[in-house]
Amino acid sequence: MMADEAGRAGHGSGSRTGAVSLEFRGVTKRYGHSAQARGAVNDLSLEVPAGAICVLVGPSGCGKTTSLKMVNRLIEPTAGQILLDGVNVLTEDVTELRRRIGYVIQHVGLFPHLTVGRNVAVVPALVGWSKERQLARADELLSLVGLDPAGYRSRYPFQLSGGERQRVGVARALAADPPLMLMDEPFAAVDPIVRERLQDEFLRLQRDLAKTILFVTHDIDEAIKMGDLIAVMEEGGRLAQFGPPDEILAHPASDFVARFVGADRGLKRLSLVTIADLELAPIAASAPPGLPTFSPSTKLRDALSVLLAADSRGGVALDEEGQPCGFVTVDAIASALAEDRQPAATRSGGVTRQGATGVGAAAGDDS
Amino acid sequence: MDLIGATAAWLSDPAHWQGANGIPSRLFEHVALSGGSLALATLVALPLGLWIGHTGRISWLVVTSANAWRALPSFAVIGLLVPFTTVLDANLGFTLYPTLVAMVVLAGPPILVNAYQGVADVDTDLVEAARAMGMKERQILLGVEMPIALPVLATGIRSAAVQVIATATLGSAFGFGGLGRFIVLGDANKDNGELFGGVVLVAALALTTLGLFLLLERRLVSAGLARRTAG
Amino acid sequence: MSGEPLIRWDWLFAHLGPIAERVGQHLYLAAIAVSVGFAISFALAALSIRRRKLYPFVTVLATAAYTIPSFAMFAALVAITGLSVFTAEIPLVLYTIVLFVPNIVAGFDSVPWDVLDAADGMGYTPGQRWWRVELPLAVPLVVAGLRLASVSTIGLVTVSAILGDSFGGLGYYILDGYKRHFTTEILVGGLLSIGLAVIADLGFVLLQRLLTPWAARRTVGG
Repeated sequence: MMADEAGRAGHGSGSRTGAVSLEFRGVTKRYGHSAQARGAVNDLSLEVPAGAICVLVGPSGCGKTTSLKMVNRLIEPTAGQILLDGVNVLTEDVTELRRRIGYVIQHVGLFPHLTVGRNVAVVPALVGWSKERQLARADELLSLVGLDPAGYRSRYPFQLSGGERQRVGVARALAADPPLMLMDEPFAAVDPIVRERLQDEFLRLQRDLAKTILFVTHDIDEAIKMGDLIAVMEEGGRLAQFGPPDEILAHPASDFVARFVGADRGLKRLSLVTIADLELAPIAASAPPGLPTFSPSTKLRDALSVLLAADSRGGVALDEEGQPCGFVTVDAIASALAEDRQPAATRSGGVTRQGATGVGAAAGDDS
Repeated sequence: MDLIGATAAWLSDPAHWQGANGIPSRLFEHVALSGGSLALATLVALPLGLWIGHTGRISWLVVTSANAWRALPSFAVIGLLVPFTTVLDANLGFTLYPTLVAMVVLAGPPILVNAYQGVADVDTDLVEAARAMGMKERQILLGVEMPIALPVLATGIRSAAVQVIATATLGSAFGFGGLGRFIVLGDANKDNGELFGGVVLVAALALTTLGLFLLLERRLVSAGLARRTAG
Repeated sequence: MSGEPLIRWDWLFAHLGPIAERVGQHLYLAAIAVSVGFAISFALAALSIRRRKLYPFVTVLATAAYTIPSFAMFAALVAITGLSVFTAEIPLVLYTIVLFVPNIVAGFDSVPWDVLDAADGMGYTPGQRWWRVELPLAVPLVVAGLRLASVSTIGLVTVSAILGDSFGGLGYYILDGYKRHFTTEILVGGLLSIGLAVIADLGFVLLQRLLTPWAARRTVGG
């Protein structure tokens, strides 16, 4: 996607101007008379600060997509308010509102009769940019999402792979530099390997763009990976829990949330922490050769998996230059969960071999 | 063999290519009537079909009545119209009007049904994506739905055109001119050369029209949709 | 025609017998055409499905046949076959084939390949698969073809009136009424033939409901 340096520079410089805060205030959507109808939303209130990714996650029919579509008013709420930087979206001109909000959906919705370049330039064309400026913007965005403009701008959607289509979809949503992006299962239609790469690239892009993003998925692992904040929704359109990923995993607010995030939530928490965050033991002189080594960005979950698979109690952490800088043990990884062990002591003791096979199974289920 | 010879002889006789009853003027009548009725039918049926396809309103009516419309035999329609059109104009009401109206009635349904179907079949995701990007309903219909529905829509107009050209010959049994006149006269005078000459001319006109429409469609339909129409 | 009422009921009641005979002739001509056309079309469609390369050829021929006006075909055939029941039936049968073949082929094409795979996987023989899976699932589109063909044939039978008084079914009254400027006859012929077409159409819709109970709910807008 984009160059690593640019990504880091963006990370360092913080949010760009233009992101907006998003607030749901007592939002309700009823279909017919039943409050339990599929897709209904019941008194949803939550706040997303500017520049954050908020993931709406829950089982199908829980109202997460309905909630997303109420933001750009593809669906009108029955009651309540949705505020962008404090302004109620219901008071705005619906066309103007939508042109300021990027929208990416699972099946992308690229127009089959337009070239990739013109697809990306749809909104700029709608708001009346000059032809040259549209073309320049389309090229710029295609490069941004990692597609060579010269090779792609004149192609038609049917000539693209699933992953390429998703990239074009993201580029199109970014075209008018919207301060808010709505993404409805944007990576669900591609295979797991492509999905993971698209997720990583999108996160890297987001570090630079710092848009406010509302992201819908039914996949808790994707929610944990993508979200700064996670809103878990349950049947009947109720908000079950809202908070950062680590809090959801460490302190599920209800049985429903605990079941939804899964019995392996301890392991999932480990995927939020990297070797760089870990307190390392000094490397013992007696350490045998041939131990596993870990880069600073390795997730603890992956490190644990490697250690268990190698039947090794420890491994060597490397610094940015690839020089050994400390010793990683299974115990140290286990204690990374320790501070939150008390509330769920009986469950988080699962850092065992059974737990490790569970990881393998969970990874297999993703596909 | 005799038939082919007689047909060729009739077609190549220069006397048949001039005057008010010659081939060029009958051809002109035929094309004018077909073109006129097709234009009238398109003018009414196309916007109506697009609108029904876009809004979904009264689509049940289109779906359930599409077949019933085809139940209207042009032969009966022309006959049935005569008592009413002669009230309007004693002369034209007996020759031109019944055929013209019957051809509009014949061409309208396929144009309307295909326009409706083409637009209604456009992926709802695309329409929603367009709406979410801030397109107005008219922009969605003209900029997204219509170009995507174009192959289906054009098929409707094309098959209507071919049907009208072939069926307009019926008008000749009811006093209208056109190329059907040769068939009626050939039949009445037991002149097979004239009869088959007329058939050849009508078929040639219909096939030429078919070809022209196909060429036009190839020009107009986006290359991005080419694969879909082929499939 | 002035001074004349739109319908002369006395004429109508005096001619109930001949009218009934014309209805009978109309249905007879149409039924032969639809059943013979259906049999030929089924064979052609089966062939086109087996040998895919034939299909474009068949559709081109069908389109070409449609460009020849029915009226002209009737008249032209007199020169070849003389006047007989074949003169009326050959064009009628040809036009049904044009409507049937694409519908039958589309019907068998519409059977999802995964269903066929499942049938093979469960050990159906090719014959069993055809009778118990493909044919039932193709029924909706095949019946759609039957509806179209019967309706259009009932309409076309009227045109055969130009062959003379012994043909045309109800079309006889349309042409005779036109020649004699007699509205009652035109209306009787026209309205009754439209009525027959609508009844035939509804009959096939009912037939389809009976044959495919699983598809009954998605007939409208499906």
